[in-house]
Amino acid sequence: LNAAPGRAPRQHVRFLPAPGGEVGLVATRVPVLADHPLVRGPRFRKLKIGAGHRLDVKASGVFVLGVGHGNKLLTDLYNCHLTKVYTVGGLFGKATDDFSDTGKLVEKTTFDHITREKLERILAVIQGTNHKALLMHSNLDMKTQEAYELAVKGLIRPMGKSPPIITAIRCLQFTLPEFQLEIQCLHETQQYLRKIVHEIGLELKSSAVCTQVRRIRDGVFTLDDALLRTQWNLQSIQNAIWDCQLKVKTEIEKTLG
Amino acid sequence: RALRAALRAARPPAPALRRGLAKPAGPRSVRQLREAEEAAPVFQYAGKAAKRKDRVFVWGFSYSGALGVPSFVKPDVGWKKRRRIQSTPYRLETEQKISSAACGYGFTLLSSETTDITKVWGMGLNKDSQLGFQRSLRDQTKGYEYVLEPSPIPLPLEKPQQTRVLQVSCGRAHSLILTDSEGVFTMGNNSYGQCGRKVVEDETYSESHLIHQLKEFDSRVVQVVCGQDHSLFRTKKGAVYACGWGADGQTGLGHYNITSVPTKLRGDIAGVNIIQVSSYGDCCLAVSDEGDVFGWGNSEYLQLASVTETTQVNVPRHLPFKIGKVKEAACGGTGNMVLTEEGNVFVWGYGILGKGPNLIETAVPEMIPPSLFGCSDFSPDIHVAHIRCGLSQFAALTNRGELFVWGKNLRGCLGTGRMEDQYFPWRVTVPGEVVDVACGVDHMVSMVKSFM
Repeated sequence: LNAAPGRAPRQHVRFLPAPGGEVGLVATRVPVLADHPLVRGPRFRKLKIGAGHRLDVKASGVFVLGVGHGNKLLTDLYNCHLTKVYTVGGLFGKATDDFSDTGKLVEKTTFDHITREKLERILAVIQGTNHKALLMHSNLDMKTQEAYELAVKGLIRPMGKSPPIITAIRCLQFTLPEFQLEIQCLHETQQYLRKIVHEIGLELKSSAVCTQVRRIRDGVFTLDDALLRTQWNLQSIQNAIWDCQLKVKTEIEKTLG
Repeated sequence: RALRAALRAARPPAPALRRGLAKPAGPRSVRQLREAEEAAPVFQYAGKAAKRKDRVFVWGFSYSGALGVPSFVKPDVGWKKRRRIQSTPYRLETEQKISSAACGYGFTLLSSETTDITKVWGMGLNKDSQLGFQRSLRDQTKGYEYVLEPSPIPLPLEKPQQTRVLQVSCGRAHSLILTDSEGVFTMGNNSYGQCGRKVVEDETYSESHLIHQLKEFDSRVVQVVCGQDHSLFRTKKGAVYACGWGADGQTGLGHYNITSVPTKLRGDIAGVNIIQVSSYGDCCLAVSDEGDVFGWGNSEYLQLASVTETTQVNVPRHLPFKIGKVKEAACGGTGNMVLTEEGNVFVWGYGILGKGPNLIETAVPEMIPPSLFGCSDFSPDIHVAHIRCGLSQFAALTNRGELFVWGKNLRGCLGTGRMEDQYFPWRVTVPGEVVDVACGVDHMVSMVKSFM
């Protein structure tokens, strides 16, 4: 970063003795000495990097970081309360103490009675109860016309602290004993998602553990914007920041006004 | 040598008396964990052929006994308190699978399609014998005025072990029971002839044993509907019969008098094959097989204002709505609702109609946006499958088995857990898939299938 060409030094007018031995002063534009690289030193000595929504050790996916001014944008994005989308993989037949497949085994159960239709029924109920929680925690008076209009458009969401809420959940793949869900949620932790998988197993009169939690969208940032491990170099980071600037600005303006 | 013997005696005791610490210490290796997992026993909680259980949930005002839970009214244990309002669904244990339920004004009827002797149970208000005669245990000559538990209603059937009860319906103080081969049984208040028999002056209806049987219709009766003080019968041939109070024209027979014998309706319905009739207050709606809606009765709340300015209509009139083919209609006290083939819900009338606090009355049907019932880009195939009306409440069942209610929350009858009125459709959390719901004045009953 420091090797990149920086700002051109400022210029100012100074009255210097005329060249060629003439008498008098000539106004010339010279660079300010204080801006000289040897006087100033390296432009960046440390960078402030902030992290966005937490991601577990066992989970993977999109992780948003803010650099410098981006930290302030991070707090604004947090106050927008946008949803995040996860792909959660599960396995029927086992129950462990920390709800993931690396934990201590608590119980094994049969699962051949489970069908995709039963799973979808349970998912519909989860979606329904969470939709109710969404409306209740949004702190709107349900008797007003604005609340009705927002509910019709589906724009009601809690704009303050609230317990984890799942706004949408559906089954992507189902091959016994494995299944994969796509969960769209607010204010959650990855352990909460693993607990949801465990509870789905209990509702289906069996047991389930979570094998994979992968965040595929965090607010406006999707997998396409995310940088892989091989791309963690200055040029790609700069390009990524440049590409996302517009998206972030429009989203913050739209939500926070 | 003596030293060696002393040392041997001082040695720790023989292995047989040692504690069984035979396993080595330290974390187990991956292979050991895997073997331990495979050796663990497998539990089975539900087999492949596990059937889904049928349950009944009730909620609303309980002091009339209409919820069928006696401990809400008279607690059986010292620490329990009387519960006036059950604001969330509460499970009611029944002996048989309940196929049809109906809520009247303070009482409930449940019926099952069994061939056992007991087919119908009733609970709640019994001051007009709308639940038949319930013999009191304390005094064998008197009957109960309030029935707190689902009690069997003895029906005078000719073939009690063959006839099945198809449907029940309840009005303000009378009830109708439809059987498959023995016609319709009516009981309760008959001061306006709503039970289909001649009005007897100064008849005392409480503690009455009289259950009237109606058989003379042009064909088999397939649906019975009770309005507040009148009764409607729909036959297989598509005709509608009515009897009872007619001062608002709700009998649809062309006059405003009482009718005590079920008489066929004419007007715009004559010759039309009606597939569904609905009523709860003093207005009635009928749906034909072609998807047209006909209405008659009270129109003080703009229910029929699209065809006439009069406030009482005593002849069925066709309501020319351009909303598509209508599949089902439901009448409330002041508001009406229809469901079209595409799964859209239209409301009109007066009161809390479900489109926010600004829509209080309208004479023309307005559609409730499907997004309020859960339809979104994530799940686009959700639509409303059935609709029901209480006196000032509306209920809608989606094809996913979710129940949405809205309207005036009289004594907690909406089941949302809150006591405030609901101005747009709100989900009721029921632990199961809701198959059917019956709405009353201040309570509701739902038939639910468990998830597994």
